[in-house]
Amino acid sequence: MIPQDIAQTIVDPKAYADGKRVDDAFAFLRREMPLAQAQPENFDPFWVVTKHADILEVERQNELFHNGDRATTLTPIDVDKKVREMMGGSPHLVRSLVQMDNPDHMNYRRLTQSWFMPQNLKRLEERIREIARGFIDRMADMNGQCDFARDVAFLYPLHVIMEVLGVPEADEPRMLKLTQELFGSADPDLNRSGAEIRDADAALAQIGATVGEFIEYFNAMTEDRRSSPRDDIASVIANGTVADKPLGHLEAMSYYIIVATAGHDTTSNTTSSGLWALAENPDQFARLKSDPGLISSYLEESIRWATPVKHFMRTATADAELRGQKIARGDWLMLSYPSGNRDEDVYSDPFTFKVDRSPNKHVAFGYGAHVCLGQHLARMEMRILWEELLPRLESVELAGAPKLMEASFVCGPKSVPIRYRMQ
Amino acid sequence: MAGKDGDGDYQTWQCATCGFIYDEAEGLPDEGLPPGTRWADVPDDWICPLCGTPKSDFEMIVI
Repeated sequence: MIPQDIAQTIVDPKAYADGKRVDDAFAFLRREMPLAQAQPENFDPFWVVTKHADILEVERQNELFHNGDRATTLTPIDVDKKVREMMGGSPHLVRSLVQMDNPDHMNYRRLTQSWFMPQNLKRLEERIREIARGFIDRMADMNGQCDFARDVAFLYPLHVIMEVLGVPEADEPRMLKLTQELFGSADPDLNRSGAEIRDADAALAQIGATVGEFIEYFNAMTEDRRSSPRDDIASVIANGTVADKPLGHLEAMSYYIIVATAGHDTTSNTTSSGLWALAENPDQFARLKSDPGLISSYLEESIRWATPVKHFMRTATADAELRGQKIARGDWLMLSYPSGNRDEDVYSDPFTFKVDRSPNKHVAFGYGAHVCLGQHLARMEMRILWEELLPRLESVELAGAPKLMEASFVCGPKSVPIRYRMQ
Repeated sequence: MAGKDGDGDYQTWQCATCGFIYDEAEGLPDEGLPPGTRWADVPDDWICPLCGTPKSDFEMIVI
Protein backbone atom coordinates (compact mmCIF):
# COMPACT_ATOMS: atom_id res chain seq x y z
CA MET A 1 0.00 0.00 0.00
CA ILE A 2 1.23 3.48 -0.88
CA PRO A 3 2.21 5.54 2.20
CA GLN A 4 -0.71 7.68 3.32
CA ASP A 5 1.03 11.03 2.86
CA ILE A 6 1.77 10.18 -0.77
CA ALA A 7 -1.76 8.87 -1.31
CA GLN A 8 -3.21 12.13 0.05
CA THR A 9 -0.86 14.20 -2.11
CA ILE A 10 -1.82 12.63 -5.43
CA VAL A 11 -5.52 13.47 -4.93
CA ASP A 12 -4.94 16.92 -3.45
CA PRO A 13 -5.78 19.82 -5.81
CA LYS A 14 -3.43 22.05 -3.82
CA ALA A 15 -0.52 19.69 -4.49
CA TYR A 16 -1.12 20.09 -8.25
CA ALA A 17 -1.17 23.88 -7.76
CA ASP A 18 2.17 23.58 -5.99
CA GLY A 19 3.62 21.48 -8.81
CA LYS A 20 6.72 20.28 -6.99
CA ARG A 21 4.79 18.42 -4.30
CA VAL A 22 3.00 16.29 -6.84
CA ASP A 23 6.12 15.82 -8.99
CA ASP A 24 8.03 14.61 -5.93
CA ALA A 25 5.24 12.22 -4.95
CA PHE A 26 5.14 10.59 -8.37
CA ALA A 27 8.94 10.49 -8.62
CA PHE A 28 8.93 8.56 -5.32
CA LEU A 29 6.27 6.18 -6.63
CA ARG A 30 8.04 5.54 -9.96
CA ARG A 31 11.21 4.74 -8.04
CA GLU A 32 9.85 2.78 -5.08
CA MET A 33 6.38 1.44 -5.96
CA PRO A 34 5.58 2.07 -9.63
CA LEU A 35 2.30 0.16 -9.49
CA ALA A 36 0.68 0.00 -6.07
CA GLN A 37 -2.62 0.68 -4.39
CA ALA A 38 -3.56 3.91 -2.66
CA GLN A 39 -6.46 4.64 -0.36
CA PRO A 40 -6.64 8.33 0.46
CA GLU A 41 -9.17 9.39 3.07
CA ASN A 42 -12.76 9.19 1.74
CA PHE A 43 -11.69 7.31 -1.42
CA ASP A 44 -12.14 3.70 -2.43
CA PRO A 45 -8.76 2.04 -2.99
CA PHE A 46 -7.25 2.32 -6.46
CA TRP A 47 -4.10 1.30 -8.28
CA VAL A 48 -1.76 4.15 -9.20
CA VAL A 49 -0.23 3.58 -12.64
CA THR A 50 2.87 5.76 -12.78
CA LYS A 51 5.02 4.29 -15.55
CA HIS A 52 4.79 5.32 -19.21
CA ALA A 53 4.80 1.71 -20.44
CA ASP A 54 2.03 0.68 -18.05
CA ILE A 55 -0.19 3.58 -19.09
CA LEU A 56 0.17 2.47 -22.71
CA GLU A 57 -0.54 -1.13 -21.71
CA VAL A 58 -3.77 -0.22 -19.92
CA GLU A 59 -4.99 2.26 -22.56
CA ARG A 60 -4.23 -0.17 -25.39
CA GLN A 61 -6.59 -2.75 -23.85
CA ASN A 62 -9.81 -0.77 -23.81
CA GLU A 63 -11.99 -3.86 -23.48
CA LEU A 64 -10.07 -5.12 -20.44
CA PHE A 65 -9.91 -1.69 -18.82
CA HIS A 66 -13.16 0.21 -19.16
CA ASN A 67 -13.75 3.93 -18.85
CA GLY A 68 -17.36 3.95 -17.77
CA ASP A 69 -17.89 1.16 -15.23
CA ARG A 70 -16.91 3.39 -12.31
CA ALA A 71 -16.17 7.10 -12.02
CA THR A 72 -13.85 8.21 -14.82
CA THR A 73 -12.07 10.75 -12.63
CA LEU A 74 -10.96 10.63 -8.98
CA THR A 75 -14.18 10.89 -7.01
CA PRO A 76 -14.53 10.74 -3.21
CA ILE A 77 -16.86 8.09 -1.77
CA ASP A 78 -19.51 10.53 -0.59
CA VAL A 79 -19.60 12.42 -3.90
CA ASP A 80 -19.80 9.14 -5.85
CA LYS A 81 -22.72 8.01 -3.69
CA LYS A 82 -24.65 11.22 -4.30
CA VAL A 83 -23.96 11.19 -8.05
CA ARG A 84 -25.33 7.65 -8.25
CA GLU A 85 -28.43 8.71 -6.32
CA MET A 86 -28.97 11.61 -8.72
CA MET A 87 -28.21 9.68 -11.91
CA GLY A 88 -30.20 6.49 -11.36
CA GLY A 89 -27.20 4.42 -10.34
CA SER A 90 -24.73 5.78 -12.90
CA PRO A 91 -21.45 7.14 -11.51
CA HIS A 92 -21.41 9.88 -14.18
CA LEU A 93 -23.02 13.34 -14.15
CA VAL A 94 -22.39 13.56 -17.90
CA ARG A 95 -21.91 10.87 -20.51
CA SER A 96 -19.39 11.98 -23.13
CA LEU A 97 -16.80 9.98 -25.06
CA VAL A 98 -14.58 9.73 -21.99
CA GLN A 99 -17.30 7.98 -19.96
CA MET A 100 -18.21 5.56 -22.78
CA ASP A 101 -17.01 2.13 -23.79
CA ASN A 102 -17.75 0.21 -26.96
CA PRO A 103 -19.95 -0.02 -28.87
CA ASP A 104 -21.21 3.44 -27.84
CA HIS A 105 -17.75 4.96 -27.73
CA MET A 106 -16.94 3.98 -31.29
CA ASN A 107 -20.34 5.06 -32.59
CA TYR A 108 -20.34 8.42 -30.84
CA ARG A 109 -16.72 9.15 -31.72
CA ARG A 110 -17.41 8.41 -35.38
CA LEU A 111 -19.99 11.18 -35.40
CA THR A 112 -17.40 13.99 -35.26
CA GLN A 113 -14.18 12.12 -36.05
CA SER A 114 -13.96 13.35 -39.64
CA TRP A 115 -14.28 16.95 -38.44
CA PHE A 116 -11.13 16.62 -36.36
CA MET A 117 -8.98 14.85 -38.94
CA PRO A 118 -5.99 16.73 -40.40
CA GLN A 119 -7.38 16.77 -43.93
CA ASN A 120 -10.53 18.58 -42.75
CA LEU A 121 -8.63 20.93 -40.45
CA LYS A 122 -6.51 22.14 -43.37
CA ARG A 123 -9.43 24.23 -44.56
CA LEU A 124 -9.44 26.06 -41.22
CA GLU A 125 -5.74 26.94 -41.34
CA GLU A 126 -6.03 30.43 -42.79
CA ARG A 127 -8.91 31.40 -40.50
CA ILE A 128 -7.03 30.16 -37.44
CA ARG A 129 -3.96 32.08 -38.57
CA GLU A 130 -6.06 35.21 -38.81
CA ILE A 131 -7.35 34.66 -35.26
CA ALA A 132 -3.81 34.05 -33.98
CA ARG A 133 -2.56 37.27 -35.61
CA GLY A 134 -5.36 39.18 -33.93
CA PHE A 135 -4.25 38.03 -30.48
CA ILE A 136 -0.59 38.69 -31.27
CA ASP A 137 -1.40 42.21 -32.46
CA ARG A 138 -3.30 42.75 -29.24
CA MET A 139 -0.28 41.50 -27.27
CA ALA A 140 1.94 43.92 -29.20
CA ASP A 141 -0.34 46.77 -28.10
CA MET A 142 -0.03 45.96 -24.39
CA ASN A 143 3.14 47.95 -23.71
CA GLY A 144 5.35 44.94 -23.21
CA GLN A 145 3.54 43.50 -20.22
CA CYS A 146 0.60 41.14 -19.91
CA ASP A 147 -0.71 38.08 -18.17
CA PHE A 148 -0.12 35.62 -20.98
CA ALA A 149 -2.56 33.08 -19.53
CA ARG A 150 -5.46 35.50 -19.15
CA ASP A 151 -4.79 37.83 -22.07
CA VAL A 152 -3.81 35.33 -24.77
CA ALA A 153 -3.72 31.64 -23.87
CA PHE A 154 -7.23 31.35 -22.40
CA LEU A 155 -8.79 33.33 -25.22
CA TYR A 156 -7.19 32.16 -28.47
CA PRO A 157 -8.06 28.40 -28.33
CA LEU A 158 -11.45 29.41 -26.88
CA HIS A 159 -12.20 31.56 -29.92
CA VAL A 160 -11.10 28.82 -32.33
CA ILE A 161 -13.17 26.02 -30.79
CA MET A 162 -16.23 28.22 -30.34
CA GLU A 163 -16.15 29.08 -34.04
CA VAL A 164 -15.83 25.39 -34.88
CA LEU A 165 -18.63 24.49 -32.47
CA GLY A 166 -20.83 27.38 -33.60
CA VAL A 167 -21.02 29.46 -30.40
CA PRO A 168 -21.29 33.24 -31.09
CA GLU A 169 -18.32 35.36 -30.02
CA ALA A 170 -20.50 37.27 -27.53
CA ASP A 171 -21.01 34.05 -25.56
CA GLU A 172 -17.32 33.17 -25.32
CA PRO A 173 -16.76 34.78 -21.89
CA ARG A 174 -19.64 32.73 -20.51
CA MET A 175 -18.21 29.53 -22.01
CA LEU A 176 -14.79 30.32 -20.50
CA LYS A 177 -16.31 30.99 -17.11
CA LEU A 178 -18.32 27.76 -17.14
CA THR A 179 -15.27 25.76 -18.27
CA GLN A 180 -13.16 27.19 -15.46
CA GLU A 181 -15.94 26.52 -12.96
CA LEU A 182 -16.04 22.90 -14.07
CA PHE A 183 -12.32 22.13 -14.20
CA GLY A 184 -11.48 24.54 -11.40
CA SER A 185 -14.25 23.41 -9.08
CA ALA A 186 -11.77 22.99 -6.21
CA ASP A 187 -10.12 26.37 -6.80
CA PRO A 188 -11.80 29.31 -5.01
CA ASP A 189 -10.36 31.70 -7.64
CA LEU A 190 -12.25 29.89 -10.39
CA ASN A 191 -15.15 27.89 -8.99
CA ARG A 192 -18.76 28.95 -8.99
CA SER A 193 -19.02 29.73 -5.29
CA GLY A 194 -15.68 31.52 -4.98
CA ALA A 195 -15.05 29.58 -1.76
CA GLU A 196 -13.27 26.50 -0.48
CA ILE A 197 -15.40 23.40 -0.97
CA ARG A 198 -15.90 21.61 2.33
CA ASP A 199 -18.28 18.72 1.62
CA ALA A 200 -19.91 16.57 -1.04
CA ASP A 201 -23.14 18.56 -1.06
CA ALA A 202 -21.31 21.81 -1.76
CA ALA A 203 -19.13 20.19 -4.42
CA LEU A 204 -22.08 18.68 -6.24
CA ALA A 205 -24.27 21.75 -5.91
CA GLN A 206 -21.82 23.97 -7.73
CA ILE A 207 -20.84 21.43 -10.40
CA GLY A 208 -24.51 20.61 -10.91
CA ALA A 209 -25.32 24.29 -11.38
CA THR A 210 -22.52 24.70 -13.92
CA VAL A 211 -23.57 21.60 -15.87
CA GLY A 212 -27.18 22.80 -15.68
CA GLU A 213 -26.22 26.14 -17.22
CA PHE A 214 -24.34 24.40 -20.02
CA ILE A 215 -27.38 22.18 -20.69
CA GLU A 216 -29.75 25.12 -20.79
CA TYR A 217 -27.49 26.84 -23.31
CA PHE A 218 -27.03 23.79 -25.52
CA ASN A 219 -30.71 22.84 -25.44
CA ALA A 220 -31.41 26.15 -27.16
CA MET A 221 -28.58 25.54 -29.60
CA THR A 222 -29.96 22.10 -30.46
CA GLU A 223 -33.34 23.58 -31.31
CA ASP A 224 -31.72 26.24 -33.47
CA ARG A 225 -29.52 23.79 -35.40
CA ARG A 226 -32.37 21.37 -35.95
CA SER A 227 -34.42 24.09 -37.60
CA SER A 228 -31.50 25.70 -39.45
CA PRO A 229 -28.39 23.52 -39.69
CA ARG A 230 -25.03 25.15 -40.43
CA ASP A 231 -21.49 24.04 -41.18
CA ASP A 232 -20.53 23.59 -37.52
CA ILE A 233 -20.09 20.87 -34.91
CA ALA A 234 -23.29 21.91 -33.13
CA SER A 235 -25.26 20.99 -36.24
CA VAL A 236 -23.51 17.61 -36.38
CA ILE A 237 -24.45 16.90 -32.76
CA ALA A 238 -28.00 18.27 -33.06
CA ASN A 239 -28.83 16.37 -36.22
CA GLY A 240 -26.55 13.36 -35.94
CA THR A 241 -27.69 9.80 -35.49
CA VAL A 242 -26.17 6.85 -33.70
CA ALA A 243 -27.44 3.44 -34.75
CA ASP A 244 -30.11 5.24 -36.83
CA LYS A 245 -31.49 7.15 -33.84
CA PRO A 246 -30.87 10.75 -32.70
CA LEU A 247 -28.33 11.04 -29.88
CA GLY A 248 -29.70 10.54 -26.39
CA HIS A 249 -30.30 13.87 -24.59
CA LEU A 250 -27.63 13.31 -21.92
CA GLU A 251 -25.17 12.10 -24.56
CA ALA A 252 -25.85 15.07 -26.85
CA MET A 253 -25.48 17.58 -24.00
CA SER A 254 -22.31 15.86 -22.86
CA TYR A 255 -20.92 15.98 -26.40
CA TYR A 256 -21.42 19.76 -26.54
CA ILE A 257 -19.91 20.14 -23.08
CA ILE A 258 -16.77 18.15 -23.83
CA VAL A 259 -16.13 20.11 -27.03
CA ALA A 260 -16.87 23.42 -25.28
CA THR A 261 -14.53 22.67 -22.35
CA ALA A 262 -11.78 20.18 -23.21
CA GLY A 263 -11.69 21.71 -26.68
CA HIS A 264 -9.86 24.80 -25.43
CA ASP A 265 -8.80 24.51 -21.79
CA THR A 266 -6.13 21.87 -22.46
CA THR A 267 -4.65 23.87 -25.33
CA SER A 268 -4.70 27.03 -23.19
CA ASN A 269 -2.85 25.25 -20.41
CA THR A 270 -0.22 23.96 -22.81
CA THR A 271 0.25 27.31 -24.53
CA SER A 272 0.75 29.09 -21.19
CA SER A 273 3.07 26.41 -19.88
CA GLY A 274 5.14 26.52 -23.06
CA LEU A 275 5.64 30.27 -22.84
CA TRP A 276 6.35 30.07 -19.12
CA ALA A 277 9.07 27.50 -19.85
CA LEU A 278 10.65 29.75 -22.50
CA ALA A 279 10.58 32.73 -20.12
CA GLU A 280 12.38 30.66 -17.50
CA ASN A 281 14.88 29.18 -19.94
CA PRO A 282 16.37 31.97 -22.08
CA ASP A 283 18.80 29.55 -23.72
CA GLN A 284 15.87 27.47 -24.99
CA PHE A 285 14.06 30.60 -26.19
CA ALA A 286 17.20 31.69 -28.08
CA ARG A 287 17.58 28.22 -29.59
CA LEU A 288 13.95 28.21 -30.77
CA LYS A 289 14.25 31.77 -32.13
CA SER A 290 17.35 30.84 -34.10
CA ASP A 291 15.78 27.69 -35.56
CA PRO A 292 12.01 27.91 -36.21
CA GLY A 293 12.28 24.38 -37.60
CA LEU A 294 12.16 23.38 -33.91
CA ILE A 295 8.59 24.64 -33.45
CA SER A 296 7.23 21.13 -33.89
CA SER A 297 9.51 19.58 -31.24
CA TYR A 298 8.97 22.61 -28.97
CA LEU A 299 5.22 22.00 -29.16
CA GLU A 300 5.56 18.35 -28.24
CA GLU A 301 7.81 19.32 -25.34
CA SER A 302 5.26 21.93 -24.23
CA ILE A 303 2.54 19.29 -24.32
CA ARG A 304 4.69 16.87 -22.31
CA TRP A 305 5.71 19.64 -19.91
CA ALA A 306 2.14 20.82 -19.29
CA THR A 307 0.31 17.48 -19.48
CA PRO A 308 -2.96 19.30 -18.79
CA VAL A 309 -4.99 16.13 -18.24
CA LYS A 310 -3.60 14.87 -14.95
CA HIS A 311 -5.38 11.55 -14.83
CA PHE A 312 -8.19 9.31 -15.96
CA MET A 313 -9.53 6.32 -14.10
CA ARG A 314 -10.08 2.86 -15.59
CA THR A 315 -11.91 -0.18 -14.22
CA ALA A 316 -10.73 -3.74 -14.85
CA THR A 317 -13.43 -5.85 -16.52
CA ALA A 318 -11.62 -9.11 -15.70
CA ASP A 319 -8.74 -10.32 -13.58
CA ALA A 320 -5.51 -9.12 -15.16
CA GLU A 321 -1.78 -8.86 -14.57
CA LEU A 322 0.22 -5.67 -14.89
CA ARG A 323 3.88 -5.21 -13.95
CA GLY A 324 3.69 -8.55 -12.14
CA GLN A 325 0.77 -7.43 -9.96
CA LYS A 326 -2.63 -9.12 -9.87
CA ILE A 327 -5.36 -6.69 -10.79
CA ALA A 328 -8.80 -8.02 -9.83
CA ARG A 329 -11.97 -7.58 -11.85
CA GLY A 330 -13.65 -4.37 -10.70
CA ASP A 331 -10.41 -2.75 -9.49
CA TRP A 332 -10.07 0.97 -10.13
CA LEU A 333 -6.87 2.33 -11.71
CA MET A 334 -5.55 5.88 -11.83
CA LEU A 335 -3.52 6.60 -14.97
CA SER A 336 -1.16 9.45 -14.06
CA TYR A 337 -0.18 11.14 -17.31
CA PRO A 338 2.23 13.68 -15.76
CA SER A 339 4.03 10.78 -14.12
CA GLY A 340 4.24 8.85 -17.41
CA ASN A 341 5.60 11.99 -19.03
CA ARG A 342 8.37 12.30 -16.41
CA ASP A 343 9.27 8.61 -16.50
CA GLU A 344 13.05 8.32 -16.13
CA ASP A 345 13.00 5.05 -18.13
CA VAL A 346 11.70 6.94 -21.18
CA TYR A 347 13.10 10.45 -20.82
CA SER A 348 16.59 11.65 -20.08
CA ASP A 349 16.45 14.67 -17.78
CA PRO A 350 12.65 14.51 -17.57
CA PHE A 351 12.48 17.63 -15.43
CA THR A 352 14.41 19.70 -17.98
CA PHE A 353 12.57 21.59 -20.71
CA LYS A 354 14.26 20.96 -24.09
CA VAL A 355 12.87 22.56 -27.23
CA ASP A 356 14.65 19.96 -29.36
CA ARG A 357 13.69 16.86 -27.36
CA SER A 358 13.47 13.88 -29.69
CA PRO A 359 11.99 11.34 -29.60
CA ASN A 360 9.14 12.58 -27.41
CA LYS A 361 6.35 10.03 -27.40
CA HIS A 362 4.45 11.53 -24.49
CA VAL A 363 1.12 10.24 -23.24
CA ALA A 364 -0.49 13.65 -22.74
CA PHE A 365 -3.20 12.89 -25.31
CA GLY A 366 -3.70 9.38 -23.99
CA TYR A 367 -3.31 6.31 -26.16
CA GLY A 368 -5.48 3.65 -27.76
CA ALA A 369 -9.14 3.99 -28.69
CA HIS A 370 -9.68 6.94 -26.33
CA VAL A 371 -6.73 8.99 -27.59
CA CYS A 372 -7.67 12.68 -27.71
CA LEU A 373 -10.00 13.41 -30.63
CA GLY A 374 -8.89 17.04 -30.78
CA GLN A 375 -5.13 16.46 -30.75
CA HIS A 376 -4.61 17.50 -34.39
CA LEU A 377 -6.58 20.71 -33.89
CA ALA A 378 -4.65 21.45 -30.69
CA ARG A 379 -1.29 20.95 -32.44
CA MET A 380 -2.39 23.04 -35.41
CA GLU A 381 -3.56 25.94 -33.23
CA MET A 382 -0.33 25.97 -31.27
CA ARG A 383 1.87 25.60 -34.38
CA ILE A 384 0.15 28.56 -36.02
CA LEU A 385 0.38 30.70 -32.89
CA TRP A 386 4.10 30.10 -32.57
CA GLU A 387 4.76 30.50 -36.30
CA GLU A 388 3.22 33.95 -35.98
CA LEU A 389 4.45 34.96 -32.52
CA LEU A 390 8.05 33.75 -32.57
CA PRO A 391 9.33 36.02 -35.36
CA ARG A 392 7.86 39.06 -33.54
CA LEU A 393 8.81 38.16 -29.97
CA GLU A 394 12.28 39.57 -29.30
CA SER A 395 12.50 38.83 -25.59
CA VAL A 396 10.36 37.45 -22.80
CA GLU A 397 10.77 37.10 -19.05
CA LEU A 398 8.53 36.48 -16.09
CA ALA A 399 7.15 39.66 -14.49
CA GLY A 400 5.88 37.89 -11.38
CA ALA A 401 5.25 34.42 -10.03
CA PRO A 402 2.99 32.30 -12.27
CA LYS A 403 0.13 30.51 -10.52
CA LEU A 404 -1.25 27.04 -11.18
CA MET A 405 -4.90 26.03 -10.76
CA GLU A 406 -5.95 23.97 -7.76
CA ALA A 407 -7.29 20.88 -9.51
CA SER A 408 -6.40 17.23 -9.89
CA PHE A 409 -8.10 16.45 -13.22
CA VAL A 410 -7.59 19.07 -15.97
CA CYS A 411 -5.44 22.03 -15.01
CA GLY A 412 -2.53 24.29 -15.74
CA PRO A 413 -1.46 27.90 -15.22
CA LYS A 414 -4.12 30.40 -14.23
CA SER A 415 -1.71 33.32 -14.37
CA VAL A 416 1.59 33.83 -16.22
CA PRO A 417 2.68 37.48 -15.89
CA ILE A 418 5.34 38.38 -18.45
CA ARG A 419 7.44 41.29 -19.68
CA TYR A 420 8.44 41.20 -23.33
CA ARG A 421 9.64 43.09 -26.37
CA MET A 422 7.90 42.65 -29.66
CA GLN A 423 8.33 43.87 -33.22
CA MET B 1 1.57 13.28 -52.47
CA ALA B 2 4.99 14.58 -51.72
CA GLY B 3 6.94 13.33 -54.72
CA LYS B 4 8.13 10.24 -56.54
CA ASP B 5 10.77 7.63 -56.52
CA GLY B 6 11.36 4.76 -58.90
CA ASP B 7 8.11 3.04 -57.88
CA GLY B 8 5.70 5.92 -58.57
CA ASP B 9 4.09 8.61 -56.43
CA TYR B 10 4.55 8.49 -52.70
CA GLN B 11 1.37 7.73 -50.84
CA THR B 12 -0.08 8.67 -47.47
CA TRP B 13 -1.76 6.30 -45.03
CA GLN B 14 -3.99 7.31 -42.13
CA CYS B 15 -4.72 5.69 -38.80
CA ALA B 16 -8.45 4.93 -38.54
CA THR B 17 -8.45 5.58 -34.78
CA CYS B 18 -6.61 8.85 -34.30
CA GLY B 19 -5.95 10.25 -37.75
CA PHE B 20 -2.14 10.02 -37.64
CA ILE B 21 -0.76 10.23 -41.17
CA TYR B 22 2.16 8.16 -42.41
CA ASP B 23 3.71 9.88 -45.43
CA GLU B 24 5.98 7.56 -47.42
CA ALA B 25 8.04 10.54 -48.61
CA GLU B 26 8.86 11.61 -45.05
CA GLY B 27 9.03 8.19 -43.41
CA LEU B 28 9.41 8.19 -39.65
CA PRO B 29 13.12 8.45 -38.88
CA ASP B 30 12.48 8.33 -35.10
CA GLU B 31 10.90 4.91 -35.62
CA GLY B 32 13.66 3.62 -37.88
CA LEU B 33 11.72 4.29 -41.10
CA PRO B 34 13.86 6.56 -43.33
CA PRO B 35 12.27 9.01 -45.79
CA GLY B 36 11.02 7.14 -48.82
CA THR B 37 10.02 3.99 -46.92
CA ARG B 38 7.06 2.50 -48.76
CA TRP B 39 4.00 1.41 -46.81
CA ALA B 40 4.60 -2.15 -48.02
CA ASP B 41 8.03 -2.04 -46.41
CA VAL B 42 6.75 -0.87 -43.01
CA PRO B 43 6.87 -3.96 -40.77
CA ASP B 44 3.52 -5.74 -40.30
CA ASP B 45 3.84 -5.48 -36.52
CA TRP B 46 4.39 -1.71 -36.63
CA ILE B 47 1.74 0.25 -34.71
CA CYS B 48 0.53 3.83 -34.85
CA PRO B 49 2.94 5.96 -32.80
CA LEU B 50 0.12 8.10 -31.42
CA CYS B 51 -2.44 5.51 -30.38
CA GLY B 52 -1.12 2.00 -30.93
CA THR B 53 -3.55 1.02 -33.70
CA PRO B 54 -2.14 -1.83 -35.84
CA LYS B 55 -0.83 -1.19 -39.37
CA SER B 56 -3.74 -3.21 -40.77
CA ASP B 57 -6.18 -0.52 -39.59
CA PHE B 58 -4.57 2.25 -41.64
CA GLU B 59 -6.25 3.47 -44.82
CA MET B 60 -4.69 5.09 -47.86
CA ILE B 61 -5.76 8.72 -48.25
CA VAL B 62 -5.09 11.58 -50.61
CA ILE B 63 -4.31 14.90 -48.94
